[in-house]
Amino acid sequence: MNDSEQAPLISDEGEVGFVEYQDFVSKEPFQFVSGGSIPELTLRYETYGHLSAAKDNAILICHALSGDHHCAGVHGIEERKQGWWNFMVGPGKPIDTTRYFVICSNVLGGCQGSTGPGSINPATGRPYNLDFPKLTVQDMVKAQSLLIDSFGIDRLHAVIGGSMGGMQTLQWAIDFPQRVGRYIALACGARHTAQAIAFNDTGRQAIISDPEWKGGNYDPQEGPAQGLAVARMMAHITYLSDVGMESKFGRKRRSGDQSREHFEVEFEVESYLRYQGASFVTRFDANTYLYLTKALDRFDLHSPESLDVTLQAVTAPGLVVGFTSDWLYPPQGNREVVEALLRLGKDATYAELAMDFGHDSFLLRAPQLYELMHRFLSR
Amino acid sequence: MKAIDKKRQADFQIIAHWVNEGDRVLDLGCGRGVLLEYLKQKKSIYGVGVDIDLDKILSCVKRGVPAYQGDIRAMLATFPENAFDRVIFSRTVEQLEDPDAVLAEGLRVGRRVAVGFVNKAFWLNRLNIFLKGRRTVNEVYPKPWYESLPANPFSVAEFEDYCDARRIVIENRVFLSGDWRSECSRFPNLMAGYAIYDLASID
Repeated sequence: MNDSEQAPLISDEGEVGFVEYQDFVSKEPFQFVSGGSIPELTLRYETYGHLSAAKDNAILICHALSGDHHCAGVHGIEERKQGWWNFMVGPGKPIDTTRYFVICSNVLGGCQGSTGPGSINPATGRPYNLDFPKLTVQDMVKAQSLLIDSFGIDRLHAVIGGSMGGMQTLQWAIDFPQRVGRYIALACGARHTAQAIAFNDTGRQAIISDPEWKGGNYDPQEGPAQGLAVARMMAHITYLSDVGMESKFGRKRRSGDQSREHFEVEFEVESYLRYQGASFVTRFDANTYLYLTKALDRFDLHSPESLDVTLQAVTAPGLVVGFTSDWLYPPQGNREVVEALLRLGKDATYAELAMDFGHDSFLLRAPQLYELMHRFLSR
Repeated sequence: MKAIDKKRQADFQIIAHWVNEGDRVLDLGCGRGVLLEYLKQKKSIYGVGVDIDLDKILSCVKRGVPAYQGDIRAMLATFPENAFDRVIFSRTVEQLEDPDAVLAEGLRVGRRVAVGFVNKAFWLNRLNIFLKGRRTVNEVYPKPWYESLPANPFSVAEFEDYCDARRIVIENRVFLSGDWRSECSRFPNLMAGYAIYDLASID
């Protein structure tokens, strides 16, 4: 995630300002694609802007693995950090809240208020933990569709997301073609590469091999903090790029003091990653991390038949954006999706942004990304 | 329309004439998507543009033209035979790295291929080199050599030789005079400023 300063790029941009989350509760049993069900579910979400009388101006934003429903504005005057996509969402911004009604929900299986492995199973009165059904990107999207139903929205003006959010976006276009007006998928792909799976599994092993994980049945107040922090540190490296890290940290040292212990924090990059790891464990649940990464690894639009067969269902015009320095979800994986869509005669556009900051480039302010999003949404 | 745009779009009408209603059209080196937008309006085609430059893709997005940012050759390789009814190279071939291979790919992926190019052997180009020892600078190519993209221009005669050598079938050919507007019927290698070919594979 990018925590950088977000000064307005265009002077007539406004802010969504103070926002509050809401909870959508469905008391109907929810069936998972891979089998299993839960008796009810909650999705935590935020909205910005106003739903038109015709209910035709809604945009759904899908968040990435470690993101949440809070993508714009602030929750209170004390909160220094704005929503994760604040520069993109707001009055006069590409996702213009004076025109669109924007919905962003915490994903099913998440740990920021939506039902996930850490939620209480009404049947037992205890957290689901590993009894939570196997989760897929299709399940995430299906749960979101219930939330969209609750607004009485038949068709979304657009579905937009990056990374895991990009995969959800593609899944939306496949599973609910009649409900998607257009879609924008950023820094994603049709499936994980072996390398992406390898990194995810190393992260999962860091969690599982932490004795505090306790087979998934840890006390919610404790848990495998070390394992989760290491998983996050390593994953965070995959979100950056060598050039980006070099320019941000280089070999900068924490301080001039040479008398410290040999393996204490010495370099800035170590300090940064340890901070990322330590702060992640305060807001993220280890079992959710296992479930979400596994859902991503299993996501595969080439299956069961082929990419072209899977994408045949898509009817909406789409924009897919790859980033040159993204080595986690490399440009060719993004490109491949559009190539298949074009083979099928679909309306699809592929753009590739030359940005230095790796996978997380889509979370950075860039005039070109601004232009692309703005033009595609308003065409 | 400005005079320069008129000249830039010299081959639009002719290509539009060759394109059938509802065709699947691939425009290689599509620039800002103006030709595809034109064909969409005239012939309700399904069109896709390819360009390497993001700025051009941005313009295509604005026009509502599906576009693919990337390398032409790599992109063509991902399509099966005859995936498109028409593949267009409008002032693109002279900038390709391996024109022979890319044209062959174009002919594989498209049932018909349109190639529009500036005739290097046009009398004015000859005269400029012969008398001034300098290349022609005009409104479409206003920049001096050191501010231009690398280009590999060729003549009508050279293109005919190429089609002959590769046994490419020339279904139609149209030559425009120096103004890129009026048709030129005689001595095209000398008198044509612009040439447009309609090609097909031998089979």
